[in-house]
Amino acid sequence: MNIYKHEFKSYLKSVGIWSVSIFLIILIYLSAISSISADIQTLNEVLASFPEEFLIAFGMTDMDFSSILGMYGLAFLFCQICLAIQASNYGFSLVSIEERELTADFLLAKPIGRGKILTAKLLAAIASLTITNLVVWVSSFLVINMLNDGQPYETKSLILLLLSIVVFQMFFLAVGVLISLLMKRVRSVTPLSMALAFGMYVISAFGSMLGEDTIEVISPFKHFEPNFIIKNAAYDMPLALISVITILVAIPASYLLYSKRNIHTAV
Amino acid sequence: MRIYLWELKANYKSLLIYCGISLFFMTVGFAKFSAYAENPELLAILDSMPSAMLDAFSMNAFNLTTVTGFFGVMYVFIGLILSIAAVIWGSDIISKEERDKTIEFSLTLPIKRSTLITAKTAAVLTNCIVLALVTWGLVLVNTARYNPDAEFYSFVFLGMVSLFITQCIFLAVGVFLGSAMKKHKNSGSVAVSLLLGTYFISVIAGLNEDFEFLKYYTPFKYFDPAALLHESKIDLPFVWLSLGIIAVSMVGAYLTYSKRDLYI
Repeated sequence: MNIYKHEFKSYLKSVGIWSVSIFLIILIYLSAISSISADIQTLNEVLASFPEEFLIAFGMTDMDFSSILGMYGLAFLFCQICLAIQASNYGFSLVSIEERELTADFLLAKPIGRGKILTAKLLAAIASLTITNLVVWVSSFLVINMLNDGQPYETKSLILLLLSIVVFQMFFLAVGVLISLLMKRVRSVTPLSMALAFGMYVISAFGSMLGEDTIEVISPFKHFEPNFIIKNAAYDMPLALISVITILVAIPASYLLYSKRNIHTAV
Repeated sequence: MRIYLWELKANYKSLLIYCGISLFFMTVGFAKFSAYAENPELLAILDSMPSAMLDAFSMNAFNLTTVTGFFGVMYVFIGLILSIAAVIWGSDIISKEERDKTIEFSLTLPIKRSTLITAKTAAVLTNCIVLALVTWGLVLVNTARYNPDAEFYSFVFLGMVSLFITQCIFLAVGVFLGSAMKKHKNSGSVAVSLLLGTYFISVIAGLNEDFEFLKYYTPFKYFDPAALLHESKIDLPFVWLSLGIIAVSMVGAYLTYSKRDLYI
């Protein structure tokens, strides 16, 4: 419990910064898009008369800005990028920070098992991610209602979209922990978390511009694509399961690796 | 010179990883392209379009059935990969000394602090050049079998030059942040959030003409691949703007680092 409290406290500042920036992203993106939605809608009407292949070839599918949710889809994608980087930051630094800052011998000399340490640390990280998650919920409803002038919209798809955040965050947290434990030494976290989070985004963004699915099935950005969820008010189940299974594999594997890990110390 | 070589050696792994990422991305990307290359159905549709219509959409008008158009689409993503590498290398090369507690050693060497920065910057700049050249080579290798014309080669050349300038901007900003940030731990995350912020701005700027003024705030929009293709020249004012940002950041880095309080 002490570890949990200590860890949680150390996350607070970072959670605050991320939450504020995500709120700003939702606010700025949605207001920017809705201010030009009229222009885009006329463009959409022209585009609608074009054959499908043409639109795919020019990357102009899925640009539905006729409803507030269609606009929200784009804003949410950028939220996802931030959430992914935050979660993988926490994941990569979760246990590696102790070795980097030479506090591992202090922590591991405490009269508790390594499993318990990892549990406490994971729970603290999850609690911090959940706070950010709640901020996304609140700010989404707030901004959408503010810009929508009381017109009705599909609450179900919005809620489904927001519910996906939990799995999305857990994916990057779990994969981050696992990779950091597979490495002998993690020197700095930012390059790794950028590579994981942004890499997944680039794979998915570039891939979906060009028809058929190949490599992008590994990316959570593809598993929980905002446009798909909004359009169908459902998850792409087989793809979403890939995320869930990855989490279910990565967490036990991390426990296993951590319980056997060789800890490098200063002396 | 010693420091330069030492840093090159220390960074070669990271360079290899980014070259690998670039290779991976090119392979996946061009595998997708093979489905579009000379696709007769698509070409038939394109031919049936009035040419005025195609011109009207020139901002998106990269014809994906040709390698030229495909490179135009990939441009943004290649730019992202190269800039992420640059900004991380730039901030890390300065701040890692304090993180790994080697700073006392480096600064007791009989050289000035400014020489240290010069050597370190030169090392990461070399890395950036190598990464850009490798990426360029990969583009050429992957496109060779489609027999591209001379116009394609000059387009790729211009594209890579402008990507390299973008890379240098992020590198210089990274070095500056590494030198100027009081807390060395934060320089990496600030550098990355700057990159993310400018990328987000570039997406907004691309949505509509009303937001075009935003493009001055994001290096991702300084060089427009469509203009590079159709006018085959790089926008000079933006080159000056980029050089200005680079110069200011580097001068800032030298000034702040020579007075830096060290965290030991």
